[in-house]
Amino acid sequence: MNNYDVIVVGAGLSGLIAAAAATAAGAKVMLAAKGAGTLTIGSGTIDLLGYDNAGRPVAAPAAALAALPADHPYGKLGLPAVQAAADFFLALCAAAGYPYCGTLAANRWLPTAAGTLKPACLVPATMDLAGTEDAAHVVVLAFAGLRDYRPEMVIEGLSRRPGFRGKHFSTAVVDAGFGPGRDATALDLARWLDSDAGRRECAEQLKKRLPPGCLVLLPPVLGTRPDYQAWRDLEAATGCRLVELAGIPPAVTGFRLRALFLAHLRRQGVAIHEQAPVTGAVVANGRCLAVVTGQPDRRREYRAGAFVIATGGFLGGGFESAPGAACESIFGLPLDVPADQLAWSEPRLLAARPQPFARFGLETDQDLRPIGADGRAALANVHFAGPNLAGYDYSCEKSGNGVALVSGYHAGTAAGEGRA
Amino acid sequence: MTKTQAVVIGGGATGAGILRDLAMRGVKAVLIERRDLANGTSSRFHGLLHSGGRYAVKDPESAAECVAENAVLRRIARQCVEDTEGLFVRLPEDDAAFETEWLAACRALGLPAAPLPPAEALRLEPGLTPRLAAAYRVPDAAIDGFRLCWQNVASAVRHGGELRTYTEVVAIERAGGRVAGVVVRDAVSGATSTIACDLVINAAGSWVGEVAALAGAAVDVEPDRGTLIAFNHRFAGRVVNRLRPPADGDIFVPHGSVVIFGTTSAAADNPDDTAPRGEEVNALLRLGEPLFPDLPRYRILRAFAGTRPLYTGGHGAAGRAASRTFAVLDHSREGVHGLISVVGGKLTTYRLMAEKTVDLACGKLGIAVPCRTAAEPLAAGPAPGLLAAARKYFPAGGAELAAARLGDAFGAVVGRLGDDPANAALICECERVTLGEIKEVAACATTHGLGDIRRRTRLGMGTCQGAYCGFRGVAAVCAAGLADKPAAGLLGDFLEERWAGVRPVLWGTQLREQELLRGIYGASLNIDGAMNDEQL
Repeated sequence: MNNYDVIVVGAGLSGLIAAAAATAAGAKVMLAAKGAGTLTIGSGTIDLLGYDNAGRPVAAPAAALAALPADHPYGKLGLPAVQAAADFFLALCAAAGYPYCGTLAANRWLPTAAGTLKPACLVPATMDLAGTEDAAHVVVLAFAGLRDYRPEMVIEGLSRRPGFRGKHFSTAVVDAGFGPGRDATALDLARWLDSDAGRRECAEQLKKRLPPGCLVLLPPVLGTRPDYQAWRDLEAATGCRLVELAGIPPAVTGFRLRALFLAHLRRQGVAIHEQAPVTGAVVANGRCLAVVTGQPDRRREYRAGAFVIATGGFLGGGFESAPGAACESIFGLPLDVPADQLAWSEPRLLAARPQPFARFGLETDQDLRPIGADGRAALANVHFAGPNLAGYDYSCEKSGNGVALVSGYHAGTAAGEGRA
Repeated sequence: MTKTQAVVIGGGATGAGILRDLAMRGVKAVLIERRDLANGTSSRFHGLLHSGGRYAVKDPESAAECVAENAVLRRIARQCVEDTEGLFVRLPEDDAAFETEWLAACRALGLPAAPLPPAEALRLEPGLTPRLAAAYRVPDAAIDGFRLCWQNVASAVRHGGELRTYTEVVAIERAGGRVAGVVVRDAVSGATSTIACDLVINAAGSWVGEVAALAGAAVDVEPDRGTLIAFNHRFAGRVVNRLRPPADGDIFVPHGSVVIFGTTSAAADNPDDTAPRGEEVNALLRLGEPLFPDLPRYRILRAFAGTRPLYTGGHGAAGRAASRTFAVLDHSREGVHGLISVVGGKLTTYRLMAEKTVDLACGKLGIAVPCRTAAEPLAAGPAPGLLAAARKYFPAGGAELAAARLGDAFGAVVGRLGDDPANAALICECERVTLGEIKEVAACATTHGLGDIRRRTRLGMGTCQGAYCGFRGVAAVCAAGLADKPAAGLLGDFLEERWAGVRPVLWGTQLREQELLRGIYGASLNIDGAMNDEQL
């Protein structure tokens, strides 16, 4: 007997979306997660497609999907599925009180802590530059003790980029009072700004240091909760626009999106098992009966009618690899990889074209079920999502959260509707 | 045009040692190196200070040189040597008769090889296979070739020697059968100039043949490629050699937080043929597994290769059969007067090679000052009280690491940390590199970019391989006004530099690490997009 209709494995963006989509389709859902997923590394923006496979920047991502190789996950799912997933996501965020900005029609170029611009379609309002074009003065904020961030690097890069050339840049420092010798991360500062006292103190310091009407760029520290409260309070107190930069981990804006989804899933009655690494599965007659968690001494089986495997490919631990060989970790599904290790990668790390190893993954059917050697679904009730899918390089294309969103939504819907 | 007595070509350990020896004997000399110091084989080897055990049976002349120089370097290069000691271990499938022969050879050399019960060897090195048949302790050690070059040069400069890095020889001028000068090109500015001299000393290692040819002379050198693997943890605390005739994949050397394992031996297409190959890495792993059964599961940081300058003059032996001893060649026998080449040898014997070369040079210059390089330490070591003062600023063990790494520059770095607490910020956690150290190295005339800073400080060379300190380091360099190009370009170069070594070992946890790195720098910060934009 199954306790659940659908079990989703993995709590990165694709797993969270899959669980939400399966729930929306009426399924009783369990989510098993090993760790926090890559939302804690990335910035939680939905990057549909920033660059094409020749390394050219993309202005209109939805329109550019058609030119991608046919084996790309977007090609497999089609534009209507992409739009449906985005609509679902935007509605969910808006209903949770943390609406995202943007559409699939155009890329927004977001400023980063490295002084670069990165493309994304759907972004938190705190990262959106729209409406700041007229600001002649840009203040790049620093925070005392925040080590992985230097305003000088932001200014050095941005001052040379379109949209920022000719603006006046300056810096100002906010001190959260952590004391000397204490290193701070963006997460420490976001927790400080979660508190009323922290926000008041920060507002007092900013009021003294900001010229009126300036644009303020700051690391992603505006609270850990998906409610825009810290952002609104500080903008109201200073009368200035505040824009968060994409930074290096821990990614506070990604934490907010994760918190939003976990709260939503809990409200929907999803059973969430954290620290529950899935190590294997029980399979019979081409169907998965259960997934297995834990070590041999604490082995547990969880049974369901359908499964979504959103375990994150190589980075998330969804794949294992050895010299000249790679396979999927739970079912041991083999990946088609070259025997010659040098054929796994490009001679340049930051090549303007996809890395071969990034395109390794599972070949699937329309419902994202793995295809066996005979060309048919090898597991009738198992759907894969995110970087487990073959055919795209999330880093080179800037398509990671886009593919995660679309494939997670589609896999979760297929599993929830019991299409198997 | 500048004028000097001797121009030394090649900034490896041998060239650096020659510059020091010349300077200490009062010879005016300039060392020129086409890139950074230790760019060639002096940074592309095991990092092993040989006890002599490896060559005891087959190459007793080289072994005897190693025995003597091992003792010398422990004295004069204390800060470059980590006294790990070494083990020779035999497995049941290895020839027991070789063990007997080896012991006799060690005795003949005066090389202490103390038997160790296999159970005790396992207690000392628990990662070793329990199948050990025999084990011996020898005075092997780890040596940092890069630091050795810099400390030799620093000592030479104190004695009046001169260093020019990023300076390439384009011609050797002759007048009436004698060398008269060296035409060099500044690789940074592109400017060409001539250094007039009485002697040219060719210490170009695997490139010695190319340099000799510039003067119309010839050297029989065969560049021989050796590939090595760096693992991300110190699974052996001692050098571990397999007790059998020297072969591929039989030496493990602990180095700081990592272990270096190798090597291979194959004729190289040319001296620059240093890209490691996938099949060599796989072959090494198969060869090493009998000694360390978990080897295939350890995370590999990178693979790298160097070319040995094997001297084949006269007897024609190649590869493993070629002697590891060295030769000092006086090209006047070919009618090229004033050109001396030194070829072959081991990093362990670099000082002896320098001494013999400079003996010949001084004979030609009519200088009768004896060699003192074996008696005088390269660096004085931190002054009393300086380490204690430094411990206020450095994390655990960091003061000692920095003192050894920096040699005589340590005091200046500690001074910077005292002057401004912000300079104590730890930029690289793996190697414990502070901002003050980066600023000190950046201020050196020989520093031309972030690559030089990373090699001098070891920034980004630890187990994260730059995933975190890359951003932090570049940001700090920008904030301190030390950047020589846009930050995105600096970051891209920084990440790109290690990639060639990662590609042959891109699997398992190292593949995950690289995906994390691409997630941060590619997906989140779009460094690739920014770099490619800037190239347009």
